[in-house]
Amino acid sequence: MVATSQAHRWGTLRRREQALRWTARAVGLLIVAALLARAVSVSISENYPLTFWVSQLVNGLVLGGVYALVALGYTLVYGILLMINFAHGEVMMVGGVAGFFGLQIASSLGWLSGATAALGLLFVLLVGMVVAALTGVTLERVAYRPLRGAPRLVPLISAIGASLFLQYSVLLIFGVRPMSYQRPALIADGVRLGPVFVPYTGLIIFITSLLLMGALVAIVQYTRLGRAMRAVATDKEAAALMGVDVNQVIAFTFLLGSALAGAAGVMLGFHNSVIKFNSGFIPGLKAFTAAVLGGIGNIPGAMVGALVLGIAESIGPSALGIPAEYRDIIAFSVLVLVLIFRPAGLLGEVAVEKRA
Amino acid sequence: MLNRTSFSAFAALSVCALVLAACAAPTQPAAPAQPTQPPAPAQPTEPPAPPAQPTEPAADSGVVVVPVGSKIRIGGSFALTGPIPDPGKDIRQGAEIAIDDANAAGGVNGFLLELVAEDGACSGDQGTVVGNKFAADPTIVAVTGGTCSGETFGLKPILQRARIPFVSPSATNPAVTSEDCDVCNRVALSDALQGQVDAEFVYNELGFRKVAVMHDSSDYGKGVAEIFRDAFVKLGGEVVAFEGAKVGDTDFRAPLTKIGVSQPELIFFGGYATEAALIAQQMKEVAGLEKTKFMGTDGAYTQQYLDTAGSAAEGTFMSYVAGDTQADKLSVFKEKYVAKFGIEPEKLGPFHAQSYDSVLLIVEAIKKVAKTDSAGNLRIEREALIKAIRGTKDLPGITGTLTCSPIGECGAGGVQVFTVENGAFKQVFGFGLR
Repeated sequence: MVATSQAHRWGTLRRREQALRWTARAVGLLIVAALLARAVSVSISENYPLTFWVSQLVNGLVLGGVYALVALGYTLVYGILLMINFAHGEVMMVGGVAGFFGLQIASSLGWLSGATAALGLLFVLLVGMVVAALTGVTLERVAYRPLRGAPRLVPLISAIGASLFLQYSVLLIFGVRPMSYQRPALIADGVRLGPVFVPYTGLIIFITSLLLMGALVAIVQYTRLGRAMRAVATDKEAAALMGVDVNQVIAFTFLLGSALAGAAGVMLGFHNSVIKFNSGFIPGLKAFTAAVLGGIGNIPGAMVGALVLGIAESIGPSALGIPAEYRDIIAFSVLVLVLIFRPAGLLGEVAVEKRA
Repeated sequence: MLNRTSFSAFAALSVCALVLAACAAPTQPAAPAQPTQPPAPAQPTEPPAPPAQPTEPAADSGVVVVPVGSKIRIGGSFALTGPIPDPGKDIRQGAEIAIDDANAAGGVNGFLLELVAEDGACSGDQGTVVGNKFAADPTIVAVTGGTCSGETFGLKPILQRARIPFVSPSATNPAVTSEDCDVCNRVALSDALQGQVDAEFVYNELGFRKVAVMHDSSDYGKGVAEIFRDAFVKLGGEVVAFEGAKVGDTDFRAPLTKIGVSQPELIFFGGYATEAALIAQQMKEVAGLEKTKFMGTDGAYTQQYLDTAGSAAEGTFMSYVAGDTQADKLSVFKEKYVAKFGIEPEKLGPFHAQSYDSVLLIVEAIKKVAKTDSAGNLRIEREALIKAIRGTKDLPGITGTLTCSPIGECGAGGVQVFTVENGAFKQVFGFGLR
């Protein structure tokens, strides 16, 4: 008697959940249809030339490239620790700030002109990556490792604290004034494809993000350390019993993700000219969105999510005929819409229930 | 057990929460102006509204009593963080020189003055915080500031209720002063003038007929952009785009690409220095804007604009709401400023002289109404001070002879337009050009 009523209750609940899910999908479909209709009508009435759309696509791909470099770090850490490192955007900012000082050193030593220009730029990039990597590893050691056995929300709060700590440390040490990167002559110009202009910095961001993503996949899939990372991701305790040094693997993960973020910070500095204490906040948030959009924990997913987000942000306002200041709304609406149809993200595995 | 669906919902929620948190951060756009002012003039004795704050005894709330040996405290709301930290610092330092001068001249009836500086962060949110702080402090006599228009909109209703008069050295949005606000005054000129003169400059002097207008969505930037747009259309010109961005944005390529389609002759931007510099830089990369000129407003008329934009600043235009500057007074002021702070005021921002005059205006009004009682304490009646500030007439300041209009416009001077030549501003149009 009791058992059947229990079963009956569960059945009702499941039916209700199903109904809710289908309602959400129907609403989502309606919204998507309305947006598409709006986009078609706007593109007919505004009659933008094709080069306009190509230019906006380029803007979006570059923006997506920056988000991708940061999103890779989010997804890597989540894949291993099931933890959102909300300070990751700030690690990017620290990399950008370090790169700024690297740039000052390189230009005062005259490394940025003539034959050594490319090497000088590489030096700036390396400074940013190394400082960011050290910041990331220190953060893991100080703010996350002591909390490893704690409930999931605890390291999350710690991460938000770390994020504020980094922001306001930079504010106190270097002041509120934005640091402005001056582009060296080597990357000051760009490529002209007909009327579409692609700045070298944008090109570098996009290509580097593709290369680094490839390298990351290779490391995770084909190296010993990558195998250890995957083992730790699957089961920390079992991996430890098999002789994997879990702490070292996790530290290495932070090192890798933070170095990528540092590279993103430096390249963003060159591309958009300014870095200041809160420069990492919004890109960090967007990169996190991109990682969730692509399926968090999935490396190509982070890349795909970031590019989708970047393109939506640059093309969206024009296509929908709304003011450009609302582009953040478009970014987060894309997230909500994708999650309605694919709760695990674009490339995420559906409902993997890893841990008991 | 990890459930991906619920994780996603959690993730979406976290994002929303953080975005909301960002709105409270100092760098975010200011809160909208309060369109409806409380009918405060009718109820002058109404205590400060926030219930959590200590309310002073009703009998004394209309009078500030400065005990023997204490200082007269003048509040200051300065944009020390946020989008224009350098001009904010400059304005605070200008105010400090004015306080020093007043004290060197013996203060008021032998009582010295003190500046209570707070960070208004150039945002409406933070302006509200600073306003509440001053309203809760019964020793604050008057306020100089805020630096930015949005920040001042945050201060305005609170100080109006608390009966604390303020004089802004640099908030230029027309709505900073209004007929229903008897505590609101400013030394800077209104953007109603700046937007109009800018439009005349672009239409008549440059001879342009097709422009695009951008703004940073702040009360200041959007306000001056709208005034420019309307004035330019009224002159007979065409505004092909009106695009917004946000304070703190660094990538303007998407809206610029959209503007490039209609190939305007000039882009007018209402906003602050960093955003202006980045637009001047990035528009060079956009198809259709190769020959387009750029023009910014007083919020971007700073050394920081020149430093950030670099070579992209050459040939761009910038307008400024200049005072009727008295060269002899300015040089004396600058000497003291450099001696105290070790930096030329122009390296930080343009409003130091207006800031000096804001404090001067307040101090002169206090001198008129302050009375020493039998115990030797100084008594300053709030209502009398409000009237005395508004009644300022022919006060000789650094930025000219200051006379407050019936709605609190106290500044003298006019709008100037500059162009950038060899990394420095050079005046090409407007007030005081010889």
